[in-house]
Amino acid sequence: MEGRKEQLKSVFYNLLSIAVAAVFWSLFSAWQQSPFFPSIAQIWKAFIGLITVGDIEGIGLFSHIWASLIRIFAGFAAACVLGIPLGLAMGLWPKLYKRTRAIIEPIRFIPPIAWIPMAIVMLVGFSRYAFLIWLGAFFPIFITTLLSVTRVNPLHVNVVKVFGAKRSYIIRKIVIPSVLPDIATGMRVGLGIAWMCIVAAEMIGGEMVGIGRLILKYAELIRMGEIIVGMLIIGVIGFIMNEIFIIIEARIFRWRSEVSID
Amino acid sequence: MDSHLVDVNISKSFGKMDVLRDIKFDVKLNEFLVIVGPTGCGKTTLANILSGIETSTVGSVTMRGEKINPHKHNISLVFQEPSCIPWYTMLQDVTSGLCIKGVDSKTADARGREVIKLVGLEGYEDFFPRQISGGMKQRVAIARAYATNPDLLIMDEPFGHLDAQTRYLMQIEIMRIWEQEKKTVVFITNNIEEAVYLASRILVLTKLPATIKAEYPITFPRPRELTDPAFLELRAEITTQCEIVE
Repeated sequence: MEGRKEQLKSVFYNLLSIAVAAVFWSLFSAWQQSPFFPSIAQIWKAFIGLITVGDIEGIGLFSHIWASLIRIFAGFAAACVLGIPLGLAMGLWPKLYKRTRAIIEPIRFIPPIAWIPMAIVMLVGFSRYAFLIWLGAFFPIFITTLLSVTRVNPLHVNVVKVFGAKRSYIIRKIVIPSVLPDIATGMRVGLGIAWMCIVAAEMIGGEMVGIGRLILKYAELIRMGEIIVGMLIIGVIGFIMNEIFIIIEARIFRWRSEVSID
Repeated sequence: MDSHLVDVNISKSFGKMDVLRDIKFDVKLNEFLVIVGPTGCGKTTLANILSGIETSTVGSVTMRGEKINPHKHNISLVFQEPSCIPWYTMLQDVTSGLCIKGVDSKTADARGREVIKLVGLEGYEDFFPRQISGGMKQRVAIARAYATNPDLLIMDEPFGHLDAQTRYLMQIEIMRIWEQEKKTVVFITNNIEEAVYLASRILVLTKLPATIKAEYPITFPRPRELTDPAFLELRAEITTQCEIVE
């Protein structure tokens, strides 16, 4: 466990590194003197403007954030609901995977963006967002779940087998607890990729609301201040979600040792 | 005599490799049978087959005339590797066998606390494996094996990973527990001193493919003195037996 002092120190250094990054950006933007590289003051002004006035269509920043959050959650939840059970099933019955991998594996390598035309002709409205985000989040969740089952320690299985444990008991008490941390990692990676897909998804969703849409709108106008605000918001929300995830993980998996690579 | 509990008559091969060849012996009720053999001679395979989690290629292991089966028989196995389940607290780990066998949780907990006390770990019931030492983990494994009150307790080099001092203390401990709660034990080791110290009978295995080479009943009174001349003599004899190249 980190001491309180150590925690304060890491907060301090994180703030310091943000400050250093801001200084570098300011110097760069002062040197360029170009509308493409707005100063921090201009970015801040764009941020305040987006909150108080809204964007060029009068849609406020929080409506954009909210819209994107719902889409992310829909796609991500679908990815979890499908990816985890499917990964578990294919891990427990490897034949299922071995006999279908020729169809599963190639799909994994098709970038979500390449699916855009297909999504446009196949789907409408909200399902387009959900589909594209699902595509991004599904495979990391599915693959890590699948692989984690094969890494269950056979010794732990034997411990309960000697006592005559049935297969259902082995799955509930040994396999599931042992794969949960890996599934959580897969979910964390999946969530990251879900956010990476948001701009692509909102490119084709048709509605004028969403953080990705916001960026696209101002890209057409070449107004970098608002674009940077949109980028930072995606980054910050992703960061907050990841932190929440880590805190929950630490709570649930109390039994895991704290590994330190200091 | 009702002294007959387990009959073993097996051979085991993995593919073309013969590991165990015509291993034939019996285990008597309440005896402390020690099987010694050089490292890599298939002792763990033998332990797994005895416990019913692995099958033999030829022949079978029977308990009171019935083929061994973890679903039917009450067997425990202490593994060579540290085997605590990382997500179980000590009490959950020790009572896991009881829960599988359908004992209600109240009785299981009571018995769990009893055996934890027996191996000297009271106060650590709610600790996770990562919070305790290697020697303590091995005691947990022993407590878990004891908790179900097994008809046959198999120990596969249970002290192999421990340092010499802990090992010595554990040997004394296991003897004390065995004398307290009489059990039928099959103890597998490559340490001959340990074998002579613990056993009421010793079987010596050869190198691969393992066969039984010799059998020694040990009648020294307990607790045994490691430096007793007769003890040392027997230890030396078994050592030569173990290392003769055929």
